[in-house]
Amino acid sequence: MRTISWEFGVERKGKRVLAADRNWDMGDRAAAAASAIFLDNVEKTYGGRSGVRALAPITAVLSAGETVGIVGPSGCGKSTLMRLIAGLEAPTAGAIRIGDRPVSGPVPDIGIVFQRDLLLEWRRVLANVMLPAEIKGLAGLESRARELLAELDIAGFAEAYPWQLSGGMRQRVAIARALLTGPKLLFLDEPFSALDALTRDQMNVLLQRLQTSHGVTTLLITHSISEAIFCADRVLVMSGRPGSVLDDIRVPFERPRRLALRETPAFTAIGRRIREHFEKAGVLVG
Amino acid sequence: MIAGLFWPLLSGAIGLGLWQGLVWAFNVPSFLLPGPWQILLTIFQQWPYLLAQLGITMAAAGLGLLISVALGLAAGAAIASSRLVDRMMTPWLVIAHAIPKVVIAPLFLVWFGFGLQSEVFFVVAFTFFPVIVNTVTGLKSADPEQLLMVRAMGATPAQVLHKIQFPSALASICAGIKLAVTLAPVGAVIGEFVASNAGLGHLLIRAVGDMDTPLAFAAVTVFSIFGVLLWRAAEWVERRVLPWHPSQRDSFLLRDAST
Repeated sequence: MRTISWEFGVERKGKRVLAADRNWDMGDRAAAAASAIFLDNVEKTYGGRSGVRALAPITAVLSAGETVGIVGPSGCGKSTLMRLIAGLEAPTAGAIRIGDRPVSGPVPDIGIVFQRDLLLEWRRVLANVMLPAEIKGLAGLESRARELLAELDIAGFAEAYPWQLSGGMRQRVAIARALLTGPKLLFLDEPFSALDALTRDQMNVLLQRLQTSHGVTTLLITHSISEAIFCADRVLVMSGRPGSVLDDIRVPFERPRRLALRETPAFTAIGRRIREHFEKAGVLVG
Repeated sequence: MIAGLFWPLLSGAIGLGLWQGLVWAFNVPSFLLPGPWQILLTIFQQWPYLLAQLGITMAAAGLGLLISVALGLAAGAAIASSRLVDRMMTPWLVIAHAIPKVVIAPLFLVWFGFGLQSEVFFVVAFTFFPVIVNTVTGLKSADPEQLLMVRAMGATPAQVLHKIQFPSALASICAGIKLAVTLAPVGAVIGEFVASNAGLGHLLIRAVGDMDTPLAFAAVTVFSIFGVLLWRAAEWVERRVLPWHPSQRDSFLLRDAST
């Protein structure tokens, strides 16, 4: 017998989220429900019954349009959680639903950006961005692809090959590719961790801009505490072996956010709160 | 370009000069070892005949090459995309590849008869393996994360093959085909030794039988020059097909100009 407890998001509405769901106005509700993510006691064990437990049962609701940052040490199940939601792997137990639809296979409406840009070296930039349209058989998206490249400040490189671009530019192409088909969900799996610190800051600002203009429900998985706070509306703190959620922190800062925000006391206080969790869990010693 | 040619030309000229000088100095009979000058003269005198025979050899080599590339690509794709096919076919391929092709050349005469068909089949046997081995290796070495990514986009297996696996494998496939391109004329000549009355291979057998050694040397020279040209042509095609590949890139980087 499994009890369903939607524990996250509880603080925000002051009611159980399922009840809060009914309070949304009807217009928003259809759109919002389509891309909200519901995790109900989701767990994952690799390699059979006696295998490695990657994820302890997790129950959470990620609201539509929200950017959720997930921070945690290596091997805490962040990426596993993402693959489960994207339907690339099946959970060992529990259920996942996106809007009204249960996840039972690869979810079509997700744009994913991985740590490596995974650009196809044999295609020029524009053709790389067009890849999802080709695979899904969608025509007439080339002008949108060019708009996205312009929005990401790389319009001049549409005809370049990936090897001619720097790491940050390559990752921008990957983001444009993920946004091409106008997905309801955007998953960023440590997208900037291979970049140098300066480029990474630039990309964080860029991500801010995209969130304001596209309003896609975003899941940002990262090792960086400050990146998570800076980019997200809400931060889930995870610890490893098996992965479980230690804290669910709402980030109150208004958008657009500036990099200087990271030096404010309110910002550092959230950072400290997250670090304390890691210290308690024995991940960070210091 | 000109400066780059100086040393190879000088070295070649000295080598050929020594050869010619020794042949003259010791009065070596031409049926034993003709000098370069005599070989050159023979090439000029026999040019139409040599060219016709070369054409026959190359036609057989080209036809065999086309067949083995088509077969190699198809079989390679089948092996790379199905574990069952892989397990069933690979042992046979290993055994078939281990058989020395030259040893079974006479059998081709028995199976396919005297003439072009036998020669073409022999070229196929000679060139099939580099193509299939490189195709399989290339298709299997596609980036697993890229495969995961396009599957997440909802790609069908055919799309995965077409959009990711095949382009990733192209460099490896080109390497296989380049090997096959150089092996094909050799296969054709061996085929002609055994089972044909035309082509450079047949010409060689005949010339040696007639003690016409200068003609044999002329044939070998023409054949070698054509082999080098063929290799160059294969490289040219490769550059057109793989402009993005690290082996083909210029050192110019756009990012240096922009950031």
